[in-house]
Parts: sequence; C-alpha cells; structure tokens
Amino acid sequence: MAQLGSFALMLALALSAYSFVFGLVALVQKGRGTERLAETARRAGIATFAAVLLAALVLAVAAFQNDFSIAYIYHHTNRDLLWPYKLAALWSGQEGSLLFWSLLLAAYGLVLRLRHKTDQRLFAHASVVIAGIQIFFLLLLNFAARPFGLMQGAMPTDGAGLNPLLQYPEMVIHPPMLYLGYVGFSVPFAFALSALVMRYPGEKWIHITRRWTMVTWAFLTCGVFLGMHWAYAVLGWGGYWGWDPVESASLMPWLTGTAFLHSVMMQEKRGMLKTWNVWLIFITFMLTIFGTDLTRSGMINSVHAFAQSSIGGWFHSFLLIIFVVCLVAYLKNSSFLRSEHKLESLVSREASFLFNNLLLLVACFTVLWGTLFPILSEWVQGHKITVGAPFFNRVNVPIALLLLLLTAVGPLLAWRRTSTESIKRNFKWPALFAVLAGVFLVATPRSWGGPFGMRPWTDISYFYSLMAVMLAVLVAATVISEFVRGGRVISRHTGQNLLASMVHLGHRNTRRYGGYIVHFGVIIVIIGFAGSAFNQDKEQEMTFGDQMTIGAYTLKCESFTQDDNPNYASEWAVMDVFKNGAQIATVYPERRFYKASQQTSTIVANRSTLKEDLYLVYEGQSQTTGHPIIKAHLNPLVMWIWIGAWIMLAGTILALVPNAVPVRAAAQVPVRDAVTVGAGD
Amino acid sequence: MSQKAPIRIFLQCGLVLAAIFVFLGAGDQNARFESLGHKMMCACGCNQILLECNHVGCPLSDGMRNDLASYVQRGDSDSLIIQAFVQKFGPTVLLAPTTTGFNRVAWIMPFLVLILGLGSVYLIVRSWKKRPEPALADGVPHAQGSELDQYSNQVRKETEL
Amino acid sequence: MTPATLLCILFTAGTLFYVFYLPGVLQLGPRKTRLAFLLERKEAVYENLRDLNFEYKAGKFPAADYQAMKTSLEEEAASLLAEIAKLEQAAQLASSRVNPQTNPQPKKGASI
Repeated sequence: MAQLGSFALMLALALSAYSFVFGLVALVQKGRGTERLAETARRAGIATFAAVLLAALVLAVAAFQNDFSIAYIYHHTNRDLLWPYKLAALWSGQEGSLLFWSLLLAAYGLVLRLRHKTDQRLFAHASVVIAGIQIFFLLLLNFAARPFGLMQGAMPTDGAGLNPLLQYPEMVIHPPMLYLGYVGFSVPFAFALSALVMRYPGEKWIHITRRWTMVTWAFLTCGVFLGMHWAYAVLGWGGYWGWDPVESASLMPWLTGTAFLHSVMMQEKRGMLKTWNVWLIFITFMLTIFGTDLTRSGMINSVHAFAQSSIGGWFHSFLLIIFVVCLVAYLKNSSFLRSEHKLESLVSREASFLFNNLLLLVACFTVLWGTLFPILSEWVQGHKITVGAPFFNRVNVPIALLLLLLTAVGPLLAWRRTSTESIKRNFKWPALFAVLAGVFLVATPRSWGGPFGMRPWTDISYFYSLMAVMLAVLVAATVISEFVRGGRVISRHTGQNLLASMVHLGHRNTRRYGGYIVHFGVIIVIIGFAGSAFNQDKEQEMTFGDQMTIGAYTLKCESFTQDDNPNYASEWAVMDVFKNGAQIATVYPERRFYKASQQTSTIVANRSTLKEDLYLVYEGQSQTTGHPIIKAHLNPLVMWIWIGAWIMLAGTILALVPNAVPVRAAAQVPVRDAVTVGAGD
Repeated sequence: MSQKAPIRIFLQCGLVLAAIFVFLGAGDQNARFESLGHKMMCACGCNQILLECNHVGCPLSDGMRNDLASYVQRGDSDSLIIQAFVQKFGPTVLLAPTTTGFNRVAWIMPFLVLILGLGSVYLIVRSWKKRPEPALADGVPHAQGSELDQYSNQVRKETEL
Repeated sequence: MTPATLLCILFTAGTLFYVFYLPGVLQLGPRKTRLAFLLERKEAVYENLRDLNFEYKAGKFPAADYQAMKTSLEEEAASLLAEIAKLEQAAQLASSRVNPQTNPQPKKGASI
C-alpha cells in the first residue's frame, strides 16, 4: 500500500515538473509546433490530479484498513475510531493535510485546464503557475513530510488515536472548507500573475476569475465560521474566537481577499487600481502560504497547531521565491498597469473603495503584527511576551467599526463624485433609524437582559456594542433602501408588486444585490459579536438537587453519571433548566476521556435561542467532594452569528448566479476570430 | 470632506468614554479578581485565559487562581499583583503587552499604520485628482465633433432603460 | 512482481498515454484581438451607464450630478465605438478582398 502511495506522489511530482517546464518552454518559444508541446504540458497537469488523487485514496484506504505500518495512520487513527473521523485523519496531521492541500490544488488545476478554451494563452500561463505551486507541495510530500513513511520495527496492534478535539462532526468539514478557501486563492493569483506577465489587454482576466474568487472566498468564510462554531462547541471556554495564531492565519487572507473582491470592481468598471489589485492578490496568496507556515513550522505556539515540525525552512524559501517572482514580474510590466481614469473626488464610490481597502489591510496588518510581535519582542528585549485577545480586541474593534461605517456609506455614493445634496437625500432616513435604534437600546429597561438597557458610558465595551448595533442598523437601512428603491423602478416598468420586483431586481444584477445580502449577513454577525460585551458566567459545584441561577435561568442538578465505550469513557450531569418557574429543558453537559490518545474533551450542553445561549460545561469532579463542577455561561445573541454566516453564504451564492437578464449586446457580438489587429495578443 | 466629520466625533466620543472607564477604576474585590484574572493566562502551556482554563488536572491554574484571590483579598494594588505574577511566571503570563518600554510599540504601531494609511490615501486621491485625464483604455483617442455626437446618440439609444 | 508494482506500472503507462498521445488536429480557441478587447471595454462602460440610469430612476442622484456623469460616460463609450467602427471597417476591407461575398455584420444594439 505505502509503496503505491509513495510512487503516486513521485509520479505526480514528475508530471507537474513536466507541466511546468514544458508549459513554460512552449510559452517562451511561441513558434510553430509549440502548440503540441503546450498541449502535452496541459495534459500532464491534468494527469497530476489523477496521481495525487491516487495517493490520497491510498492513504484513506490505509486508514480504513487500520494499516498501522504507515506511521501517519498509526499516529492519527485507531481501530475504534468512527469512520467519518478515519476520513478526517487525512487532514488532521501535517503530512496528510499537505497531501490534501496538494489534492485540492490539483483539483482546481484540473478545472482550470479543462476550461482552457475560454482563452488559450491566458489559461496556459495560469496552468504553468499552478504547476509551479504544485511542485512545491509535491517536493514537500516526497522529501520533507512523507505521508507514507513506515513505522520502525513490528507493526503496532492499535493506533495512537485521533486528537479528541478533532472528533466532532464539524471537524470533518471545517478543514476541507478552510483548505478549499486557502488553496482557491492560487487560481486568481495564477491569473493575475499571468495577465501581468503576458500584458493581457483589458480586464477580462478579472471577469474570468471573478467566480473563482467568490467561490474561494465563500469557502474561506465557511471555513472560518465553522472553525468558530467548532471552537465554541468543543473547546468549552464559552467563546468562539480567541485570537489564536491558527485563527489569525485564516483571518488574514480573508481580510485581504475581501479587500480584493471589492477593489477589482474598480478595475472592472473604471480601469483603475490595477497595480493595487495585482499586489492585493499576490499578498493574499502569500498570506495563505504564510498562514500555513506560521502554524505548521512551530514558529508560534498555538492551541490547535495540530501538527508541527521543521518544514519551516521550505515554506520560508517558497515564500521568498514567490515574492521575488511577483516583484520581478511587476517591475518588468508595471508600465502596463496604467490607470484609465483619474479620481475626481474624495467623496465618491472610488474613494470609498480605497478607504475600505485601507481599513481591511490595516486590520490584516494588526493581526499579523500581534501574531508576530512575540517573535519581535524576543529579538529586541530578549524575552517572549504574550499578545492575546485583549490586544486584538482593543485594536481591531475601532477599525471594524470604521469599516462598518463605510459599508453603510460606500454603496450610496456615486461613482466619480457625490454632491452634498445627494448625500443628504440618501442618508437622512438610515441615519434616523440608526439613532432611534441607539436610543431604544439605552432607554429600554435593564431587566430585559442582554444588550437592552445598556449603559454605554460605564464600560468601553458597552460603548463599542452600542456603536456596532447602531452602525449595523445604518447598514441594514441603506441595504433595504437600495432594494426598495430599485424594486420601485422595476415595479413601475413591469407593474409587478414591490416584493416581486425586488426579487426580479436581485436576479437582474446578482452580483450587486448578492453583495448587499452579504453585507446584511455581516451586520447580523456583527450584532452577534456585540452581544459578547454582555456575557455572564458562573461556576458552581453541584450535587443532586443543587440549584444555580444565571440571568433568567435556574439550573437544577438531577443526577450525574458515568459511561464507558471502547473509544472513550465519559461523565455527565443531568440538569433541568427552569425559566420563570417553568421547566423548559433538560440538558446533559459531558466530559469525555479518550483512551487511545489519553486526552479529555468537553461536550458542551448549549441551549441556544435568538436572545441568548445558555452554555453549560462539565468542568470535572471536585477533588474533595467528588461532585461535578458546572460552569454556566450566558452569552447573548450568539445565534445571530451563525444566522449571519448563513445569510452571507446565501448572498454569495446569489452573486454567483448569472444575471437573469443577459446583456444582449454581449451575447450577440459575433466572435471575429479571424481578425487580429494591433497588439492584441 | 463631509465623510470625516462623523469619524472625528466618533473618535472623540471614544476617547472620552475610554478616559471615564480608566478613571472609574475597578469596584469590589470580585470585579478586581475577574478583571485581573482575564488579563493573565494559565502558565501551564494550554494557552488559555487564567479564569477560563478548563482542563481537568491542570497543574497550575488552581494555584494561580488561589494566589490571585489571596492577593486581591490582601488589598494589593493591581500593578503589584501583576508584578508578582510576572516575577513568578515570566512576562508571557500577561495576555496583552504592557504599556511600558518596547511593548509600547505593539500598541502604537497599528494606529500609526492606520493614520499613515489614511494620510497616504488622502494624498493619493489628491494627486490623482490633479493628474491630467489619461488616455482611454489601451490608447483609444477621445472622439471629437460630429463623430462624438453621432456615437453618443447611439450609446444613449442602446443604454436607455 | 507484486500487485502494487503492477498497479504502479499500469498507472504510469495510462498517464503517459494520456499525456503524449495527441492524434489529429488540436482544437484551439480564438486568439484575443484588440477588437475583442475594445468590445469588452465598451460593454463595461455600457454597464456603468445602465447602472447610472437605473440608480437615477431609483432616486439616488440629483439631476445635475446625473447629467454630468452621464455625459462623461457617453463620451467614453462614443470614443470606444468610434475606434471599434474603424477596426471593423479595416477588417471588413481586408476580408472583402479575400472573399467579396462576405456580408457586413449587422449592428445590434442592446437595451433592457
């Protein structure tokens, strides 16, 4: 088995090297007969996918067959592991996750190479870039982090087991989502680099990569939110985001990727910001590699850097190579990236995109800075320090609020310039709503709990929450007004009712209105974040009949018990939950001890409502009395985060749908392939 | 320019409220315990906030919590308590960089970058406003005279709603 | 020979066959022309103009703002159209020399 896997990886390396080298030769030579060479290079790229897929399949089969002669299988699975987690073993360790990365890259490459007829030369360039990236991962897999390395000595009878923190349903889909997001940025990167190198005329490459970028962004967003949900449900500390380096590593490319999604619109519509966009996607791609480097190379400590080793040097070198390639490509071709328009006013859609990009990049810098500061501190002061959640929150919250303000303002500004009158006209009502929402939150009685009756002057975090909610209302009002006003125009034309017109509107320009829905999702998420300022928690030892009160809830311990199965031993408590004197639920906070890996893990009992989550953790048994210790968290508005994430996803999907009313001119312009005029290549 | 006014007001409000918050100081002992306990992390290597460290059999967190409780009860000042912990567990016990010495750089840098960024965007916009209207895409000349009128009409017809 | 070795050999053979066996003529897509690029650009400007018209009808801009933006966008589109017409004429001239029967391309507009 292991032999087949190793061979497949070696073959994949040879194929991608062929695809890279001869693809490049064919592009450079340009002469007659290179078309056949280019075609073999393209096919070698496609065959790379088959070879990597074979390797991945071998590893999966080995996991299912409990082939502990392979070290990776021994370290990450055991006989009694449930089957979905055996599959998840493929990406739960370093070697496996690199193989998985390589597989996804090959899959993206496959789709790209199959669609080559859209624009032969551009796709040929992109294919070479993808092959180059693939070579790096396959070199790693063949020489530095070999997934098919064998165990020394006799074959063990059972494996060491999967980290119990990973034995959770979402963990089966979270890493693939995140990786699809990370790896996906290779595609727009490849196209951007290609367009730059070949001095591709026009913005068609952006048009081609637009869907790729959005899909990638959607995967990354899903990955980030699934990670948050996993942390919330499994780590059992009552929160969803702890600014761990692994989390930061996923956030950084998300931030720059978001900036890219916005600023390419400037290039598509106005032919501006070309240099900026190219660098933005270069940086995003480098951040995906850097994030992996950061968490895999052991440069930074992290709770869930599940795999660490000495492959840092490889990553550093690769990053350096990418940077040099990008820089040289840019310096050689920068004259090609001239802007087609000037910027006319500070109060324009263009300027709002600039500020949007600036804020997203500053947020990204802050995360990077905080993550790397411990290393810097070690160099300068001689000792490490911790840069944790309080730092990131304090620095990033104001930036996020400014960004939220721009989210409200930007879409209402006109391209080129916006007059004061226009601003007044567009902002009067939304601003009024925002102020009313703020007044409402401050004026309501505190007994309503959560954010109601907040006193923003008593604590900066309350103030931030209030601002966040008000700005969220501002954004919501502007988004709704966009839909209503657009709907009215359609309804005047077609005579449909307003609701039908708004649906029609969404179909008519899916990207714009899908984007608005994403914005709407974002503010729902932000409202969820704002709730965290009002979190409460309480810890208590509880035996039969003991009670605990938190917020409007009373908890009563009915019993506590233990259980045992081949995979893990567990203890849990049975708790009745009362609200206003009536029993509303029975919950079972649990703690598991996994035998193979000798580790414990928490199964949180979470009763989630729109208003708040009652989040119960079985902390363990008291060493003196043997009674369970229960920690209760009351976290307002957390459910909004997950709802918001779904809305963001729905908006992205809408944005991916082609416009319902196709632009007729584009469809009817015949392809005049025979005509080659000027420097059109 | 009108974009800047709300930002300035917002920043001022933020500063005022931050000042109020700082001068209010922590209230009772329980609140001080909570606030200090959330400024430090468990030193066992689990990377969790001290009061949120929840793994059973943690060799350090119980002791650290007890220490913290006794210091607070004794009435030691916040800075004294923090000093005691730093001496015992090293500077990594603090969750966020201090505001002294080189650590100040950690706090200043993000805001410096933000301000420099805002400044440079402003300058960029200004210089872009001044530059002459560039040629259209790929050196297409601007249409003139009757040609312009003729094609403008066509454009208007083709883009009417 | 173990089954694994056999599989390795078969897989390699299949791959090499796929990569290097290229019978017949290659199907290549069109090369990008300056005309295609200008048409793309025209479409983008048209799209901007339609958006502008739509947003104006939705009541987002005052009339003065709208007129100014519309005029400058129309100018841009007109310049592109003029250039496109020139290129098309040149191309038609070239193709009619080769094949005099070629009909002129009908111009088709777009409206929503």
